[in-house]
Amino acid sequence: MSMLTVQDLQKSFGKFEAVKGVSFTVEKGESFGLLGPNGAGKSTMINMITGLYPPTSGEIHMKDIDVIKSPKQAQKWIGVVPQEIALYQSMSARENLRFWGRMYDLSGNSLEKSIDQVLEIIGLTERAKDKVETFSGGMKRRVNIGAAILHKPELLIMDEPTVGIDPQSRNHILETVKRLNSEGMTIIYTSHYMEEVEYLCERIGIVDYGQLIASGTLRELRESIGDHSRIFLTIEKDHLSEEKLTKSLLGFFPEKNFELQDHQVMVFHKEPQLILSDFIQLVTQTGTKITSVNIVEPNLESVFLHLTGRKLRD
Amino acid sequence: MKFWWLSWKDLLLIVRDKKALLTLILMPLLLIAILGSAFGDMMKEEETISIEKFTLGVVNLDQGPLSQVLTDDVLSKKLSKQIKVKYYQEDELYSRIKNHKLEVGIIIAKDFSQALMNGNGTKVKLISVPDTVIKSTIVQNVLEQFSRSIPIEAAVSQIAQPVQGGEQNSFVQEGYGENDLLKETTVDAKTIPVSSFQYYAAAMGVMFLLMTVVQGVSMMILEKEQEVFKRLLLTNLTYPNYLLGKLLGLIILCLMQASIIIVGTSLIFGVDWGESLSGIMLLTFAFVVNACGLGVLAGSFIKTEKAFNVAGMFGTQIMAALGGSMAPLYIFPDWVVFVTKILPNGLALQTYLKLMSGAAVSDILPAFAGSIVLGIAFFSIGLFRLSLERRGKYA
Repeated sequence: MSMLTVQDLQKSFGKFEAVKGVSFTVEKGESFGLLGPNGAGKSTMINMITGLYPPTSGEIHMKDIDVIKSPKQAQKWIGVVPQEIALYQSMSARENLRFWGRMYDLSGNSLEKSIDQVLEIIGLTERAKDKVETFSGGMKRRVNIGAAILHKPELLIMDEPTVGIDPQSRNHILETVKRLNSEGMTIIYTSHYMEEVEYLCERIGIVDYGQLIASGTLRELRESIGDHSRIFLTIEKDHLSEEKLTKSLLGFFPEKNFELQDHQVMVFHKEPQLILSDFIQLVTQTGTKITSVNIVEPNLESVFLHLTGRKLRD
Repeated sequence: MKFWWLSWKDLLLIVRDKKALLTLILMPLLLIAILGSAFGDMMKEEETISIEKFTLGVVNLDQGPLSQVLTDDVLSKKLSKQIKVKYYQEDELYSRIKNHKLEVGIIIAKDFSQALMNGNGTKVKLISVPDTVIKSTIVQNVLEQFSRSIPIEAAVSQIAQPVQGGEQNSFVQEGYGENDLLKETTVDAKTIPVSSFQYYAAAMGVMFLLMTVVQGVSMMILEKEQEVFKRLLLTNLTYPNYLLGKLLGLIILCLMQASIIIVGTSLIFGVDWGESLSGIMLLTFAFVVNACGLGVLAGSFIKTEKAFNVAGMFGTQIMAALGGSMAPLYIFPDWVVFVTKILPNGLALQTYLKLMSGAAVSDILPAFAGSIVLGIAFFSIGLFRLSLERRGKYA
């Protein structure tokens, strides 16, 4: 039995359709990523999966629990890390964890033991007595995660947990998530940072305009766009004759697998090494001065770009 | 028990908020001191003006000599500078007081003289429109004095009969009349004048409690706008438990503030809150429930914390002004004083003053019950509205 099954999920706010018939499953112990730009509908999906918002239509099952009919029953097994910091700033890390633990019916020794374990996992044992308002953004994010795992949920749902924090804290959070997953916790991780999703998730769903436009492992997604790399050629703007360059490129790439934007030429190609020297020669012949050349292996960004025609952070 | 931890958390956050603490505790004490001193003289002047000559309606059902001594010698002659006596039939007296054409009246019972001479006490019913405390008190005092001395002298000189007892002044105990526009009271209820410090201790206390309610409800609305509210809904906490926890926290906070104001004014300024500690406790609890209920109801109509703060600030000021927290109730017409009892603070202030004037716990039970019932009604409607709102938005 899957840990989570989402079937034809749809949510409208008035005339605006935020989620349009999304279906996917997450297996027990799996780490599943939902990747998409801001406003794609990821958070709305999460809010429905956690039983916070009622969907307009569709089904959600967590194991054998119907989340729509019995949200409170499902929530006992779900931990949610919200996008914003959902903590009380004038309370210490330990006080916050104690309060949230009590909201999950923990008490006495088991609560204190759980708090100690969580503080160790998020690396804040030394700062447990300090008020959250004195913490850095990254530390607050770690307590935010801690509050979601106190009751040892089977499914941990993290909604953009690393927004706006320093690289060191981000690494700490990513390592924490890896550790929790390796200990058997099922993870759903939403982000618009493809590198995080690539690093953490075994399977990925790409979301855009409320739809799940692709899903699979990273390899499967790469293959779906033909495993094309991208060649970036940066050129000096002063020497650019756009019309002349476009004409030459069309002759060289009749299938139009290139883009000319501002002072950069980008070409999709399965084997970039084979065409690189000819491509550079062609551009130079048009009188254009090249300042740098960069080859990018296929990744989620290229998959998203290929599927939507937009960059993830557009 | 999760609702209790929610209340505990709210109290902890308030206690740690120095700005909020300052507003909740120090400000009322400071204002009581300032206003009590500043308005002290003004209130004395009001009291002086109030005891200038007024009309006393008299119904004399007694055929004996002592009632005549009381009305002719004492009220009409000796107190002619303060009191003008007018005689009426019983129905007419009631009617005039009901219509506010007359403020105070007395009905001398049929066996007044006989009862007094037999040592069975004096039977006089004092009737007044509500809250004419000063005039009623004057008449009361006159009747008490009369019952102690004059009848004995008069009886000795006029009818030369010995009078037994007469020391104890036990006027007819009447409950409140069918019509609430009339106040019938026992004359032996000792009404003690309220000082300006006492008045403003109660008035400011009541006003600041209203402000605390606004602040508490405002925090509730703010929390709903924040991510912590969603997180709370995702825990095992049910929505009724959430609301119960929030309300309990607010009530405890208000009770704490009220206790500090009462004890603080008593210790620092020597304010006498009356002899009935249980009355003060019951009234405070009832007022807090009433005000919190009204706050939750008002909050259920307003979506954002900013909007509620603005509405709450105006609402509190208007209620405080009408309820007598800004200017003494004595300067308002009696009907305004009566109507403002509809407001939680108006009713509370008038009842606090009553307790300060020497009323017992039994005297404030109607106000206590009224406040509790209103508070529960306000809260129930607010709860219903909030539940509807939540169902429209959350699962």
